[in-house]
Amino acid sequence: MMTLVVGGAASGKSEYAESLLMRLDGRRYYIATMQPFGEEALARIRKHRAMRALKRFETIECSTNLLSVHLPERGNVLLECMSNLAANELYAPEGAGEAAYDAILTGVDVLRRQCDALVIVSNEVFTGGNQYAGDTDHYLHLLAKVNRALAGRADNVCEVICGQAYYYKGREGAV
Amino acid sequence: MLFVTGPLYSGKKDYVKLRFGWDDTQLASHAVWDVQELAAQEEALEALADRLSAHEVVIATEVGGGVVPIDPQARRAREAAGRLSCLLAQRADTVIRVFCGLPLLLKGE
Repeated sequence: MMTLVVGGAASGKSEYAESLLMRLDGRRYYIATMQPFGEEALARIRKHRAMRALKRFETIECSTNLLSVHLPERGNVLLECMSNLAANELYAPEGAGEAAYDAILTGVDVLRRQCDALVIVSNEVFTGGNQYAGDTDHYLHLLAKVNRALAGRADNVCEVICGQAYYYKGREGAV
Repeated sequence: MLFVTGPLYSGKKDYVKLRFGWDDTQLASHAVWDVQELAAQEEALEALADRLSAHEVVIATEVGGGVVPIDPQARRAREAAGRLSCLLAQRADTVIRVFCGLPLLLKGE
């Protein structure tokens, strides 16, 4: 089963996504996509890792190339956050560049086959217009296309607002 | 009139094409989109909403999220876009919000 959880900044989407997997037995994996740029990011990563360890999540770092992820054993996966992964694939030197969309979707398909429940967290950044500097619109196009494709494939799709989930497709608990 | 709104690049036009079985040419003859961009240039939003409502389908992108723009013109444009969407929703029989390609019914059936 695949669930897409979308929400704005600090909407409670991560906690909600974690809670979906806390109910399930089996090994819990957390695929972390954030690139450790600078002390602020490192501190954030350390804090999140410690919090997730308490919840028995095993962290797998993957800032680009989801295809490289091989789970040691079947289990349940939380992939967070698609907005980071998309940016890394598009802009990091080791990323897929213009092939970012295909790299992400293929990676998700392969990952799905390795686990029972897959929960993917993505960001809602699409209601503030598109008058951004530089290459941002290019990035918005990519992330929106990825979100639409994931929503199409997912069994469940919800938007988290103030920690509350609204389901556009499927239902809560059907992970 | 069917009013379709939703975030940027959320699949609004694709939803309309799928719903009615239209191709791009049919979409162009039955629907009008990116109407949020018309709002800033129009003093009389009510009249604009009335004119747009003559179309079978009207599509607008939500642009009111995020930080208030520092530029006065962009601020006015965003304000007008939001108010136009409210006026269109009032005139519509059906209002749909498309999110990640998935429709949410806000009004009608």
